[in-house]
Amino acid sequence: MDVLDLARLQFAATGSLHFLFVMVTLGLAPLVAIMHTRWVRSGDPEHERMTRFWGEVYVINYALGIVTGLVMEFQFGLSWAGLSHYAGDVFGAPLAMETLVAFFLESTFLGLWIFGWGRLPRRLHLACIWLVTLTAYASAFFVMVANSFLQNPAGALLRNGRMELVDAAALFTNKALVFAFPHVIGVGLFAGGMVVVGASAYRLRRRDGEAAFFTASLRTGVGTAFAGLWVAVAFGYPQFAGVAEGKFGSDGGVATTALAIMMEAGNLLSLVLLALLVTRSRLPRWRWSHPLLIAMTPVPFALAVCGWLAREVGRQPWMIWERLSVADAMSPGLTSGMVTASLVGFVAVLGMLAVADYALIVRVVRRGPRDLPLGATVDEQRSPALSH
Amino acid sequence: MELIWYAVFALLLVGYFALEGFDLGVGMLLPLIGGDQRGRDRLVAAMAPFVLANEVWLVAVAGTLFGAYPMLEGEVLFGLYPLVVAMLLAWVVRDAGLWFRRRADGARWRSFWDAMITVGSLGLAFGWGVALYAAATGFDASLLHPAGLLLGVVVTLVLAWHGWTFLGWRAPEAAGITRSGRALALSGAAAALPAAAVVGGALPYLLEHSAPSPTLSVLSVMVLPFAPVMVLAQVWVWRTFRPGKGPVRTLSFF
Repeated sequence: MDVLDLARLQFAATGSLHFLFVMVTLGLAPLVAIMHTRWVRSGDPEHERMTRFWGEVYVINYALGIVTGLVMEFQFGLSWAGLSHYAGDVFGAPLAMETLVAFFLESTFLGLWIFGWGRLPRRLHLACIWLVTLTAYASAFFVMVANSFLQNPAGALLRNGRMELVDAAALFTNKALVFAFPHVIGVGLFAGGMVVVGASAYRLRRRDGEAAFFTASLRTGVGTAFAGLWVAVAFGYPQFAGVAEGKFGSDGGVATTALAIMMEAGNLLSLVLLALLVTRSRLPRWRWSHPLLIAMTPVPFALAVCGWLAREVGRQPWMIWERLSVADAMSPGLTSGMVTASLVGFVAVLGMLAVADYALIVRVVRRGPRDLPLGATVDEQRSPALSH
Repeated sequence: MELIWYAVFALLLVGYFALEGFDLGVGMLLPLIGGDQRGRDRLVAAMAPFVLANEVWLVAVAGTLFGAYPMLEGEVLFGLYPLVVAMLLAWVVRDAGLWFRRRADGARWRSFWDAMITVGSLGLAFGWGVALYAAATGFDASLLHPAGLLLGVVVTLVLAWHGWTFLGWRAPEAAGITRSGRALALSGAAAALPAAAVVGGALPYLLEHSAPSPTLSVLSVMVLPFAPVMVLAQVWVWRTFRPGKGPVRTLSFF
């Protein structure tokens, strides 16, 4: 592999890893916020346990979203300095909005939510998780604005060898954005819903208590996954109106194959999810269905990677469609040795952390809604004799 | 307009050192003054509510670099490639240590992630000294220049002192010392001093390399209306988690 392939592989690896965690964040954040709202309204301890249990899954997943995101952000300058030289005046604005406003607020409010348990007034504490959700969606929006500019450089003109922003509104109404953003949101809800479905099915199958808790969770998960998938499919097809001509050849390449897999599976799954929705009150009792539901949990993740492969590989060899090639966007002077070293470092560290993170989420699910650390008080600290 | 964005950039960078500086300091001090697992838990609990609100200042610095200084973004980060990669990895393992340390039982699991917090904090602090020296000398000198390495040691020591002062303010009983808010402000200023000197010296250079006015205008229209919200959110964190509001009944998640 030459240096360009290595740099692309590095971005693809960290980007894919980032999105696998971010999509669950986008799906679980509103779910946890709704659970928290129910708890504040009813004062029901069962709603509190729901908030704390699924909140813990959400927060553990969030950790990997942060660390992979940090590596993503700095990689623009490390490997792709040509992009900021050529189009930084345009591309930089949405990225600055994402990091400087949306993520800044998201992280601040998340800290207040996690550590504000028992310290903040109940309603302000609830407001924090809704603000986290809102700013997470704003983050996703600005990242999609930036990505859509690469797909279709709207609102900018070339002047003196650099792109200049001439129409900010065009940046935000980009035809590559308007359907892709709701599509991504739908995908997030589908993934978050399926995580809840898979985890609940696992617990119900093992029959180790908490049947009522996971029956209710399973229903919520099925409803969310259904709504998310249908939004994703509904906003999937109109995207073709905005696809640049010649993006998907009929040569059976990676982009075309990934696109075909995603579409076929998406269509099939919409029917499966419809069936699940109709039978959702019986699913908890149908033990034979539980292994199937567990097996379905990784599907949204595989399809999301297919979707990104279609969108990003289909753009090759352009960094900015028909304006800047990826070869020209690469930092001048970047060597294979440099990228190999950083690629190995990032993939090894982030890969191990991702595995550890999934293991921790599985551990939370196995343990179930007891000894919940989010908002745990000093009195309910588990005794050493009980821990194992 | 260029001046406004210079001020934003400088404020974010200086703020990062004054705020995240004490988190890194506490991370380095864990094995020195933490003692056993319980002692380390108390030190981490003291800084935990601030970490998420502090570390984003650097994310915002990078965003401003991209938005307001697109011509410099690649130059700065690419010019320091091996250092930036090492610092990112240090940051990643520090964060992972905080999130993971109490997610499983077992003394070895916890000691391992506590060690990662310390290694990551040390690596970041030392790396910052080297990076600031490189920035001050125009990215020409070797990253292993003795003056840069020396600045790395100095920054590490100053941040450790800042972390210790923070512990004396937030958790005197766990730290074994008591420090006032004024002392914390002083150590924060000291932590920010090297970065402030570099960014101050770079004023003419940064103004010259700002993005063109139309870009800065769009950026201003989009970002500046949110500035009060961001300030309020940060103030809210400090009001919520300041010491002396009676015993806290909740355990720290980190």
